Amino acid sequence: MSNRYSCPDPSRPAADAAIRRPAAGLAVFALLVLWLAVPAVSGAAPGDAAKALEPAGETAEEVPGIERDDSPECMRCHWMETMAYRDRDTRKIVDLSIDRDVYRHSVHADLACRDCHARGYKHYPHRTSSADEALHCVGCHAERGDDGAPDLTDISLEFQESVHAIEASRPFDCFSCHNPHTFRPVEDGAPVEAVVATTNRLCLDCHTKLDTPVPKGHEWLPKPREHWASVRCIECHTPVEGRDMYQPSHALLGAPESNRNCVECHTQGSELLSQLYNYRAAEQREQEGFFAQALYNDAYIVGMSRSPLIDRIGLALAALMVLGVIAHGFGRYLAYRKQRASR
Amino acid sequence: MTELYLYPVWLRAWHWLNALIFLVSLVTGISMHFSLGWLIPFEVAVPVHNASGIVLTVSWVAFIIGNWVSGNGKHYLINLRSLPMDLFRQTRYYVYGIFVNAPHPFHVSEEHKLNALQTMSYVGVMYVLMPLLILSGWAFLLSPSLPETVLGIGTIWIVAMTHLVLSWMLLLFLIVHVYIITTGETVMTNMRAMLTGWHRERGPQPERAGDDAG
Repeated sequence: MSNRYSCPDPSRPAADAAIRRPAAGLAVFALLVLWLAVPAVSGAAPGDAAKALEPAGETAEEVPGIERDDSPECMRCHWMETMAYRDRDTRKIVDLSIDRDVYRHSVHADLACRDCHARGYKHYPHRTSSADEALHCVGCHAERGDDGAPDLTDISLEFQESVHAIEASRPFDCFSCHNPHTFRPVEDGAPVEAVVATTNRLCLDCHTKLDTPVPKGHEWLPKPREHWASVRCIECHTPVEGRDMYQPSHALLGAPESNRNCVECHTQGSELLSQLYNYRAAEQREQEGFFAQALYNDAYIVGMSRSPLIDRIGLALAALMVLGVIAHGFGRYLAYRKQRASR
Repeated sequence: MTELYLYPVWLRAWHWLNALIFLVSLVTGISMHFSLGWLIPFEVAVPVHNASGIVLTVSWVAFIIGNWVSGNGKHYLINLRSLPMDLFRQTRYYVYGIFVNAPHPFHVSEEHKLNALQTMSYVGVMYVLMPLLILSGWAFLLSPSLPETVLGIGTIWIVAMTHLVLSWMLLLFLIVHVYIITTGETVMTNMRAMLTGWHRERGPQPERAGDDAG
């Protein structure tokens, strides 16, 4: 299945960088003030939005995290789509807005803002040092294991061996790929296409040069678009050993180590092929029922049943057979002519 | 002139339907196997092949039941005592006799409509290869329920290779089958029999009577 686990704060790495320098911190503060002023000027008081979200007689457990405790206070500002600032170092826009609807559907929907952002955000304006909160998915999940947060230790170990950890040119962590305010794992039994699309979107959002008709570095790969839509990037870009069908490996491989061997999928019973094939067929059966799966299963992989040797022998025998049949027929024709001539 | 009604309606209907289903399976299978999008687009070939495979299963079961109920199954019983000599005579006819206008060693009758070579190949095809082909096809469809490996080899690979080898063997059979039906008394004698049900042959002792019904 696709990436199930993740944690808070997508904007943190950039925010960290900003906070390290006082000037950048000041810029954050100035912008926050500015953005607060915008709705006031335009007539839409931020408090209105917060009021609209206040729960009507629900108990604390039922109240979504974003409406609980002092989260409505946070959302007075952070609901705004334009809540952002430009980071001085990277010159990139750092988005600080939270989409309430998306958050409510995310895997972390039960968490109130300050369940994760515990330090220094109680008061407004926030201190510049507050942004240096150093949130850690693995630690947080370990602490909240009793609440059902999945253990991320294995994923963390895999990540440390990945090309993202070893060779990335800029700081790379969970948040580089997973936005905890929006993240939601793909459900079991989701259509295969949806699983593939969701998983690959994570990669393609950064690796934009791969989302083209002739993807960079994949020039050797025939029909890249069809591959992107049918198999997950991680099928070839993670080690074959120790795979878990339902928890994708985070030990992503760089180009030199990745599978470039077509026959790993398109022939023989390699581990890669068996897993992919079974996974797809099982997903489909769960989703469509037995007969529909039998009829419409698209788990077939072109050339999967190929064996060059058997094909060569088969073609040779068929060719010989056809030639033999033609020769035999010609012999019969000669015999027939001879018989007619003798009459 | 001898006239024998050898192929009742159900048998002819089954034969031609089965031929159609088999050809559909063959063409879609080849298209998928060799990735021949121009022959049949992949998205079409997959469901059509799956459907024809399922119908082929039904067809095979119908053949078995039909043979059992109608008594047609007797033609597929092998007479072990006379088999070696019959096979020798039949083979000698095809590789030599047929070219020198020798008389056919076998004559069709109500009791025996198939010569020894035919009996052997049809028993091989319908009672061995075809059920194995069908089983391997279903193993593909139900692959998630199979163990991932058997004796350390990927199950899917075993299934795929079995399906592939059987498909090739049945293609070879089809080539020979289509040709051999032309070796009757005339080129069309046997084809006509499978179309009309009647096997017609000149004279009680024809000089070069072919007879085999394909």
